[in-house]
Amino acid sequence: MDAPRRKSALALDAVYTGAQRCDHAKMRALTKPLSCVLFATLMASCAPDPPKDTPAAADQPELVQADEQPEPAAPAAAPAISTGDCDAHQAGLSTRADERAQPWGIAQHLEKNFPGMKVSWLMKEGPYQTFVVESQAAKFGRCNETGCYLFAAPTAVIEAAVESSLTGETHDPALLGQALGLPAQNFEGPLRMMTLDLAATRACVRLPDDDDPGVWKCQSEADQDCFKFGGYTSGGVPELMVIDAPVAHASIREIQ
Amino acid sequence: MSAEQVVYQSPMLYRLLRDGSEALIIEVVVGGIAMSAVRVRLSDDEAAHYARAGSSYSDQLAQAITANPRFDGRAYPSPAGPSPAAG
Repeated sequence: MDAPRRKSALALDAVYTGAQRCDHAKMRALTKPLSCVLFATLMASCAPDPPKDTPAAADQPELVQADEQPEPAAPAAAPAISTGDCDAHQAGLSTRADERAQPWGIAQHLEKNFPGMKVSWLMKEGPYQTFVVESQAAKFGRCNETGCYLFAAPTAVIEAAVESSLTGETHDPALLGQALGLPAQNFEGPLRMMTLDLAATRACVRLPDDDDPGVWKCQSEADQDCFKFGGYTSGGVPELMVIDAPVAHASIREIQ
Repeated sequence: MSAEQVVYQSPMLYRLLRDGSEALIIEVVVGGIAMSAVRVRLSDDEAAHYARAGSSYSDQLAQAITANPRFDGRAYPSPAGPSPAAG
């Protein structure tokens, strides 16, 4: 095997066996220099196992004829990267933020950090009950006449941080804070983790800016949890500004 | 019965409370991807300002607190527990 093919094969092995799951996009990229057959073979092996509670299926004779092999399952299409449905005001703010962030921008940010187009955020139980449940909010975030503004991070990042903080039935605020680069006190007590599918809801997203509602302006270099422009929190977590995130379409998880 | 009453609640994620001693307290949701709430007890001057200007002043005050959640040492964490009665 030549060097480029060997490199791809090794990387593929890491994606396929190391992660214990099928990352379709990475597999497609890595199998490109090998062959289409290899990609198809791997994708077929990604298909879910047959149900285990149907023992009769194992006893049934194979009905598929030798020359009628089933087609490998098509890979699930990755959600299209999109900034959603932004009105003229938000589109203008997004353009200005992209100009400021050059050569970075919302498109690259989504592509790199939000490939699944799912976002999550955390809220302490008290404010969640007060400002979401009791107020029967239709949209998440701080709302004014131009929209409701919400900071959100990639679901995979928040989920991994939460999972790493769980100790039995409760979470450890220090571990969660460490994972997200934020003070532990932000995570003391019961929390809610909200998740929104951007592809399904078409909620408008853009890079956050200093003038957005809720921005904590840095007072000094020592501040570790204040806003820094560029699409990342001061703790290095990717973040987005989501406009008009609908409460009805979010999934909400309790974290004790 | 709760000793606090909700005077005003804003879609900007803050509310004004009046406690048992008739003092005004503003409770503001702070933070980005991890949101919590802090409270600040209004000074007499701030309470008088609110009495004159209403929510246009409390909007400014809430914005100042979200931009500086320690609020020069005046902010304290919002207590967990049942919500006060609507006023």
